[in-house]
Formats: sequence, structure tokens, C-alpha cells
Amino acid sequence: MSRGIVVLAQNNEKVDYVQQACLLALSLKANNPNENISIITDDSVPAKYVKLFDKILPILWDDDAKDSEWKIENRWKIYHSSPYEKTIVLDTDILILQDISSWWDFLENYEMFFTSNVFTYRGDKVTNDYYRKVFTENNLPNLYAGFHYFEKGEFSYKFYKCLEYVVQNWQKFYETMLIDTMRPKWCSIDVCSALTTVILDCEDKITNKVSSFPNFVHMKPKIQNWEQPKTYWQDCVDVYLNGKGHIKIGNFKQSSILHYTEDDFVKPYMLDTYLGLVK
Amino acid sequence: MSKGALLIARNNDTIDYVKQAVFLANRIKKYLDIPVSIITDSVNYLKDEFPEDTFDEIIKIEYKDDINKKAYYDGSLYHKKLNFKNNYRVEAFDLTPYDETLLLDTDFIISNDLLKNCFSSPNDLMMYKKSEDLAKVRNEKEFDHISDYSIAFYWATVVFFRKTPLNKIYFDLIKHIQENWQHYYSVYQLKSTLFRNDFAFSIAAHIMNGFEQQYDFVNELPGKHLYTTDRDILHKLDGNNFIFLVEKKNYLGEYTLISVKDQNVHVMNKFSLNRIIDEVGYE
Repeated sequence: MSRGIVVLAQNNEKVDYVQQACLLALSLKANNPNENISIITDDSVPAKYVKLFDKILPILWDDDAKDSEWKIENRWKIYHSSPYEKTIVLDTDILILQDISSWWDFLENYEMFFTSNVFTYRGDKVTNDYYRKVFTENNLPNLYAGFHYFEKGEFSYKFYKCLEYVVQNWQKFYETMLIDTMRPKWCSIDVCSALTTVILDCEDKITNKVSSFPNFVHMKPKIQNWEQPKTYWQDCVDVYLNGKGHIKIGNFKQSSILHYTEDDFVKPYMLDTYLGLVK
Repeated sequence: MSKGALLIARNNDTIDYVKQAVFLANRIKKYLDIPVSIITDSVNYLKDEFPEDTFDEIIKIEYKDDINKKAYYDGSLYHKKLNFKNNYRVEAFDLTPYDETLLLDTDFIISNDLLKNCFSSPNDLMMYKKSEDLAKVRNEKEFDHISDYSIAFYWATVVFFRKTPLNKIYFDLIKHIQENWQHYYSVYQLKSTLFRNDFAFSIAAHIMNGFEQQYDFVNELPGKHLYTTDRDILHKLDGNNFIFLVEKKNYLGEYTLISVKDQNVHVMNKFSLNRIIDEVGYE
């Protein structure tokens, strides 16, 4: 069965998500030379990075995110675009810093899987719900769509069809299913995925609250167990990248999946370093 | 395998650490039933003023007046800046006469036999990570990490170690950190430039863990590190029964009376500890 990673990247005026996807692909290839990755984008991929991608795919149908900054509205199309029978979907602002072959073994147990446990850069499990009040207050499954998996099949198709409907009508679903004081003012793929899970009553089928694997390090500053977090985590701790592609945040070596979240994290020297390793 | 406790006592112009060491040595012998050795730069004073048979071995080091000043408090209203002569702890590995050593600060008051279990533990290196402030009103998170954005905090107050090649590397690494303190306090984002063994031991542990938190090069000592800070006052000690005046939150100079029994306690107010030793004697 074919398998691979798919990432959707749509640039906006401020952020070059394609560049983020290229760094993600470089980090993947540096640690997993034989893994496949495809990118879905209507923007151009710089020539020197084209070879990283197994396939460069257009965004299907109309661009549903024309007027949106975060471009969430096209995310449901990933299912239909993926060239693989088994797909891991990642956000663009992620780095893969480990061998991921064991992930696939674990994911064999599921037709769909969403990570529901994330960690701080120090390796502590995140228990702080600062950014997740909507999940806590509405008793939603604590899913992170930034890392999820599906195998093409009846159930995953149904899930994505439902997700499509929720995303396209997100205001109505928020009004109906979320308490009024806890409704985000924007379309969130995490919230939409959680609502889909509630509608289909399939939480046990798509996540595992006990397993801390697969997971990722989530770098939002207010969940790092800091007493004095700043607005940007990069103002609190430095980033070190060595010639082997090893990354330290503060004094902690990162050796799993890093969701760096801040768009100015990507620097030209990082791209160059990983490019050198992949060559 | 030989086993014993090791204390380090280097007096400054006000605090008599040797006196504390003699007091603690007698309690170690009573509760843990192991010999005690001392590393000190005040051998003559020790021999002149205290019973000769207190220590198994007296290890003499050169007298030096280190310039590492810090404020020593005696309750929340009084403090004095004194020399903090703490840079010999790292030599414990090379200087200890034992294969299995329990290294203790002289202000860690033993009142039970819990630490005896170290010697039957399979772990070659143990320190406290878990700790509890007896006052219960201060921010204990201060001792979760060596600074807000930095690594896990280990207390160097009590260290159990065996003389293994790996522990030799660990202590050599601490020595390197101590020698290059300016670099390490900066890289590890410490708020103060003051050298502290807790920090150096924690940094070395973090490095030995491969810069990751999920490994356990250092294991936890039995029990929990109970402490009072130097803003509190040890008011009375009757056998194993401590009575402390612990500072009240937001009421400077006011205290709450608490009593603790049969527990090992780190008494950071060295002035009050020495007053109590004068009161109760060394036995």
C-alpha cells in the first residue's frame, strides 16, 4: 500500500507557507530519506526544493479560502487530493526530527488517527488549556489536526465528508454546538475536526488519550509551564541548529516532531543546512 | 564496599560550618549508623574545639577566602553579606574515602533512617528533585527548574554516589561547568551570576541525559527534600521534634509557628541553626 505525508500550503500576504513546507520536507528527508511527501498548493515551489516532493498537487475545485488569512477552508480537500492510500497530514510549521517508521506501525491500528497529547519543549505533557478553552468548556475531544492520519476507506471518507460540511458551515455549527461564550470567531480546523468527531460519535475510533505516541512538541508560549511567558516563545528561549540538523530549543534537544508555530522561525540558514544534509 | 557520609565545612567570618558538621555527624551516626568523614580547611579548630572521635577521617584542604558573596538571612528582617565558600563540593568524588558516599550539606538535619536505603539501592547516583517548603506560602515552582525557561532543578544538598567510571565523568563535568561558570550561567539563563552547586549539578545531569528531560541519569533519593529557607527561623529542636517560625506571606517580620517530627529537614537559616546547636549541644 502506498503511504506518505501530505501538507497543504497556501501563502498569504504575510506568510510563505510553501517555504515552511519545504523546510518540513527537508527535515523529513534528512531523517527519513525514503519517506514520501506531497504538497498541495497553488503557489509556486522554488526549483531547488521541487525534487523533495513526490507530487506537487493543485488545490481541488475552487479556492474556498480566498478571503481567509489562515486558509483553513481547503483543509478538508486533503483527503481527496492525497495520492497515497495511507496518509499522514501535517501542518506546514512542523519539523520532523526523528525516524518515523514506527509511527506507521502504530497507525496500522487505526483507519483515522488524531494526536490528542502534545508536549512542551522540555518534554512535559501539556495539561494547560490556555489555548483550548473551547475544547474544555464544550467537552470536545482534544484533537490536534496538525498531526493526523487516515487510510482511505469507508469510515475516513465519511469523516472527511462530514468535516467538509462542518468547515463550509462553521458559523452555524459553532452556534449550534458550542456555548456562546466559547465560540471562536474564525474557522478552526481543530474545532471543526472535534465537532465532526462528536457528530459521528467516533472519538474512541480516531484517537487514544492514553498513548503518548505519536505526539508533537507544541511551541505555543502559554503552555510551556513558564511562570512568565512572553507573547512569542522565541523571545524566551533561543534556537540552535547544528550541521547535523539537530535542533535545540533553549537547552533541550528536540528529537521528535516540532510544531514551531511562529512564522518567523524559518531562517535561510536552516533551509541551507538541511538542504546540505539531504543532498 | 566501604560506605560512609561525607561533609564539607569551610567557615567564613560569621558562620561556623565546622560546628554544624560535628552536630550533623553525631546525628548521622545515630540514625544511619555509618562512619562520617569531613573535608575542611579548619583542621586545627576542629581538633581543638570538638571531640576527636567524631570523624572517621579528616581531609584537610587549603584555606582560601573565595570571593563569592551572598546575603545570609536570619529570618526575614536581618541579613549579612558573607563569603559563600561552596566550591569544594565537586571534589567530593576524588576526596571521599568511601566506595559509596552520602554527601550532605551541614545544614541538612537528619532525624530518621530513611537515607540508609541509599546503600541498598541499585542506583549509583541519587539526588533530590522533589521538594517541599515547610512554610507553604512561598512559590515552590522556583525549585522546579533552575530558571523559568531552563532545565530541571536538582538539589545538591544531599548526593548519594558510588565511585563508578560514569560518576567520575559526571563530577568531572561539574568541575568543567564550575571552571566555565560565566558561560554556563548565561547559556542556562540563570538570573544570578552566583555559583551554586544545585545549578552546576543540575546542568551536568541535564548534559549527561543528552540534553533531554525524559532520561534519568540521576535518580531520586528516598523521600522528599523538606526545607525551610533562611527567612524562617529554627526556634527549637528537641530530639527529632523541630519547631520553626516560618515567614508569613505579605507580613514582613511576622511568623507562623510550625512543628515537624521525625523528618530530615534542610535548615537554610544557618544563624538560627548554630544558635540551636549551642543550646542543645552536639549529641
